[in-house]
Amino acid sequence: MKHLFLYLIAAMFVFTNSLMAAELKKTDGEIAAPMLKLENLKGEAVDLNDFRGKVVLVQFWATYCTPCRVEMPSMNELTKKLEEAKIPFKILAVNMGESKQEVQKFVDEVKPEFTILMDTKGENVQAWNVFAAPSNFVIGTKGKVRYTLFGGVEWDSEDIISTIKALAKETNKKES
Amino acid sequence: MTVRLFKSVIMILLFSLSTLVSASDEVISVNADDETEVDIRIFKADGNQLLVGFACDQGSSISEEKTAEALAKDGIEVWMPDMLSAYMLPKVRSSLSDIPTNGLLNILEKAKKTNKKVYMIASGPDTELILRVAVEWEKAHSDSPLSGVILMFPRLNKQKPEPGKPPEYQDAVGKTRVPIMLLEGERTPNRWGIGHLTNALKKNGSTVYAKLIPDVRGYFFKRKDPNAPENLVTSQMSGLIKASLFFLGRAHK
Repeated sequence: MKHLFLYLIAAMFVFTNSLMAAELKKTDGEIAAPMLKLENLKGEAVDLNDFRGKVVLVQFWATYCTPCRVEMPSMNELTKKLEEAKIPFKILAVNMGESKQEVQKFVDEVKPEFTILMDTKGENVQAWNVFAAPSNFVIGTKGKVRYTLFGGVEWDSEDIISTIKALAKETNKKES
Repeated sequence: MTVRLFKSVIMILLFSLSTLVSASDEVISVNADDETEVDIRIFKADGNQLLVGFACDQGSSISEEKTAEALAKDGIEVWMPDMLSAYMLPKVRSSLSDIPTNGLLNILEKAKKTNKKVYMIASGPDTELILRVAVEWEKAHSDSPLSGVILMFPRLNKQKPEPGKPPEYQDAVGKTRVPIMLLEGERTPNRWGIGHLTNALKKNGSTVYAKLIPDVRGYFFKRKDPNAPENLVTSQMSGLIKASLFFLGRAHK
């Protein structure tokens, strides 16, 4: 019983710490985002290229990934806050190789208000060099990977909102 | 009153004794180095395979104990050295890197003296430990190779994953020639790294088999919230290990 208690305390510390510690990591701004063309839960084709001119958060996630579940409400908040600020922004959350049934059940429960894409064969997971979840890529307005982030985070934090706002307002200099 | 109390004490003692006897055959102590003795819990068997599992607490968790008992019944001897207690290390992940390789080599030497085929098994970050030991064993005993290692849900990254970049592994990865069975849960993001890790493990000539266990998450056998497939696989863990030993045996043919 004592061991279980200590384990729970340790697990809580590690989990909380992982949410707090993760932060956006700047890339050199020259990496073009790999192709991303997948179906959403309604079976409609969605292409990353269609969102040029917007900052796009591409997230690779899974239903069994606890940080993914925890951070999704903050992703809803991020979308709302950027909409209010009239910042061109889109979230594409790519599920890693699970069935439509599993994902739909998760969506009904957690209620993400952004686009969920289905990578049932995991082809995009590999093309994007993703080895863990959640793996995040912030794509600039010209389709280049500008920031990456591994792990759970509070997406509606002031720091992240400022970073995305700045990215949306950048001139073409860095991404031409 | 006194008689009733006496009977109760006797019953409790008998029950405790029967639990101990059924849990394992014996506990032996091995000198890991000049100053350290390691207790090894042994599940004896008559077959020619011996599996050394580096679990904490001599594998006292229920599923590990049941698995060891089932393996022993099928002729596979299981040794569970309690490394953390021996070196007075706290039972946390970071302690594993503090376990000296020499101590484990002495245990393997003792295992080898049984003339059985010796295998090692570990899960999660402990897998680094057995790869490190395998490398050192080969350096010191090139004429007496280990028969294989089983890596369950290996966590061998050197640092936190970085999206868009392939992982960097611990130094022991890709340094041994020992046959390796890699088991990973289907419902874990690490499954996407299996191909990359397999190639890294093969670099020094190891034969590497990699298998995905359907419908289970990482560490499923230690979870407090197992689902039906996880309960099923946990109850059949000895079968999974036996199948792994079968594959590892093929590597020598």
